[in-house]
Amino acid sequence: MRTFKLLVVGAGAAGISAALAAWDAGCRDVLLLDRAESMGGILPQCLHEGFGLTTFGQELTGPEYTARLAEKLAGTGVVFLPGTEVLSVSEERIAVLSRRGAVERLRFERLILASGCRERSIGSLPVAGTRPAGIFTAGQAQERINLRHQDLGDEILILGSGDLGMIMARRFTLGGKHVIAVLEQAVQYGGMARNHRRCIEAFSIPLRCRMTVREIHGEGRIRGVTAEHIDSGEREFIACDTLVTALGLIPERELVRGLEDRDWLSLVGNCHHVHDIVDSAAAEAARIGSLVGKRLAV
Amino acid sequence: MKMERFDVVVIGGGLPGCFSARELSRLKLEIVLLEAREDVCTGVSRANTAVVYPGHDHKPGTLKAEMTVRANASFDRLCEELDVPFSRCGSLMLSFGPRSDAALRKKLRQGRENGVPGLRLLSADEAYRLEPTIASGLSSALYASTAGTVNPWQLGIAACENAVQNGVRLRLNTRVIAMRRENDDYLLETDHGALQARAVVNCAGLAADRVQGLLFPPAVRIVPTAGDYLVLDRNSVGKPTHILQVEPEEGEKGLTVVPTVEGSLLLGPTERENALDYATTENGLAWVREQAAHLLPGLALDGTIRSFAAVRPNPQRQDGSSIHSFCIEHPAERFWSLIGIKTPGLTCARELGAFLARRLAEELAAEENAGFDPVRRGIRRAHGLPFEERKALAERDPDYGEIVCFCEDVTKAEVLEAVRRGAVTVDGVKRRVGTGMGRCQGARCEQKIAALIAEALGVPESAVRKDGPGSEIVRAAHENV
Ligand SMILES: Cc1cc2nc3c(=O)[nH]c(=O)nc-3n(C[C@H](O)[C@H](O)[C@H](O)COP(=O)(O)OP(=O)(O)OC[C@H]3O[C@@H](n4cnc5c(N)ncnc54)[C@H](O)[C@@H]3O)c2cc1C
Ligand SMILES: Cc1cc2nc3c(=O)[nH]c(=O)nc-3n(C[C@H](O)[C@H](O)[C@H](O)COP(=O)(O)OP(=O)(O)OC[C@H]3O[C@@H](n4cnc5c(N)ncnc54)[C@H](O)[C@@H]3O)c2cc1C
Repeated sequence: MRTFKLLVVGAGAAGISAALAAWDAGCRDVLLLDRAESMGGILPQCLHEGFGLTTFGQELTGPEYTARLAEKLAGTGVVFLPGTEVLSVSEERIAVLSRRGAVERLRFERLILASGCRERSIGSLPVAGTRPAGIFTAGQAQERINLRHQDLGDEILILGSGDLGMIMARRFTLGGKHVIAVLEQAVQYGGMARNHRRCIEAFSIPLRCRMTVREIHGEGRIRGVTAEHIDSGEREFIACDTLVTALGLIPERELVRGLEDRDWLSLVGNCHHVHDIVDSAAAEAARIGSLVGKRLAV
Repeated sequence: MKMERFDVVVIGGGLPGCFSARELSRLKLEIVLLEAREDVCTGVSRANTAVVYPGHDHKPGTLKAEMTVRANASFDRLCEELDVPFSRCGSLMLSFGPRSDAALRKKLRQGRENGVPGLRLLSADEAYRLEPTIASGLSSALYASTAGTVNPWQLGIAACENAVQNGVRLRLNTRVIAMRRENDDYLLETDHGALQARAVVNCAGLAADRVQGLLFPPAVRIVPTAGDYLVLDRNSVGKPTHILQVEPEEGEKGLTVVPTVEGSLLLGPTERENALDYATTENGLAWVREQAAHLLPGLALDGTIRSFAAVRPNPQRQDGSSIHSFCIEHPAERFWSLIGIKTPGLTCARELGAFLARRLAEELAAEENAGFDPVRRGIRRAHGLPFEERKALAERDPDYGEIVCFCEDVTKAEVLEAVRRGAVTVDGVKRRVGTGMGRCQGARCEQKIAALIAEALGVPESAVRKDGPGSEIVRAAHENV
């Protein structure tokens, strides 16, 4: 069984930062792995600028930000294992890994979990109606458009005005699609002011607050929703061929369910709590990575 | 052009249709199963409560009572033969008052008379010991140790695969649109050509009345109603471990709660009119949530991952009266219809199929098929295997190492096998290997699965559908531009 002093699960901004910091702190036995084939986590699909102002003093795109981290990592002896899923982690500090052609057990002293978060799905809301094709989470839509170059639809309705919802409103608009509106149940947009300015205002995309979706219509493909004005209870039918849901992010910690309080485990980045800014996720991860690294230093 | 001729044509690939085909394949007959959709088990058979009933719900002496008790007793063996997970978790019928207490006592008597083993009337204390998640105020409970749950579409697909293995021809995307008699044969016109058969088994689900009506004067008609369900994530706090059925103190329907074989929790169904399609209603979903909160106060409903609707095919006579028994029509020799098969049609699917097979064996003077093999092998799942086995599997077939669905731990090898066995849609893969059924509801695996289907079938990704007609997921996929 292979043994590593430090295992870092997830090679997004947080995981890479943690691994780097641990190495710099003197831990010379670090394995960083990710289920994806390349590094960066959520970043490679974020083609917009807006990453790294604090860390690098300039606004980079997601891939550029990733490249900077990857470059630093290349200067260390951190082992990176892509395309590798951690299936389970046990009390005995053994992780089971699975990748193409191989399943292996691996022993570690300390674990840094940097597994990011998942998106809340429409199924979790009490929204009635059918479940046709044409409903995407914002992250899913972003990946399909930016990385797979897919055409998702023409008449786009966005539910939720967090950063992801607003960024996707702009992305669809830039792609020549008609964003009918961004619906938001709160009294104002949920994300950062900067994203509201750059993504919503700059493109005159209708942001309709105190509104939500109550019912989905359409049999093969979505053809519209019943939306409600929350304060008046008034309802209207909004026709669309694509519904994009940006309903919030949930820290992904299933892997360590029941082990959360072990002293050999640390959570960093979005699986710890959701960070609006990559720099903040990276900084938190670096701080913890450094502490862990010192303890494991030779 | 010479028309294809079969001994038996089975119309409709729901549970009863698939099992009719399978049970008929025990006989030396040329059989074809026609299904209008792109896959089997996409109708009533896909959206239901998934309970394998013990048999105390039905009046002694009825076909339902007799079939349910027999079916339940042999369900372990059936699921072993078909390699389908079955969980005999037991059920508790719950009473919160005197009226329901009486109803439970009646069910106990009925069950004993029907020959249901393992029935016990419990005091509230005894019931709480078995199932501490139940809200206070319980008056009594009827425990049925033989109740269980099975995944309905997995069972139906398994029956269909086993039928095909035993020589049944499966024709998908083939809808029967007209029928007539010619000499002694039945002539069926479909949207993909005509065929001829000595006998017809009509299992067309919600359309079974209309299919019979293509040839015979209407006797029974189906009046659809609907029901709503919620599904909770397997990690939800406060999940019960038994099937719970509330016997309502007042007239309305009681909630049923099922800990499924996948580990998720199923809650529902409601009862409502106006079933136009498989769409849930706000009131229905609200009712399920309310009832659940009431019955299981410790249950974290924020673990909800999905809601869905079911359609009930209620059979009525021409005078509008309801038919409570299994409605098996025999309007002419060698023509059999199952019309409006509701609960417990999943439990009894094999019994219904066997019943029709026995009748047709007589009518067609068919001999036994000595080569019949009742054993079907399911798709080999990586999840849950001991480490060494999983390791060996991934070394033998590298695709077994590649995880496609993270929530449910499904590998690429399993997805490809699902496609090889007939899945052509994302939901078709889901029904075979459980992808997309977990916490993220497919947000992270849908695209990968669509791409694998596209590659395996040699079509562009834009041709891959989520489910039925018109559900293409993307417009055009210009990969790698
Ligand atoms: C659409 C979008 C736009 C954003 N825009 C901005 C912006 O403009 N500016 C800004 O500063 N910030 C932005 N952010 C926020 C910032 O990008 C994130 O907070 C940060 O990137 C999160 O990093 P992370 O490493 O915690 O998580 P992730 O990047 O999600 O990385 C987690 C990694 O863990 C892996 N993983 C998880 N479980 C396992 C397992 N069991 N086995 C193996 N691997 C596993 C995943 O594959 C993934 O690669 C944006 C975020 C999003 C989603
Ligand atoms: C709400 C609900 C809950 C239930 N819960 C349970 C339970 O817990 N336990 C239990 O034992 N039973 C249960 N049942 C019963 C069980 O689900 C049904 O008995 C069974 O699924 C009925 O299947 P079917 O074949 O009649 O219909 P379907 O599954 O709809 O199959 C009919 C098929 O015929 C095809 N078809 C239609 N017209 C044509 C045509 N012209 N040509 C070719 N093909 C055609 C359709 O496409 C469809 O695939 C429940 C039923 C309902 C409605």
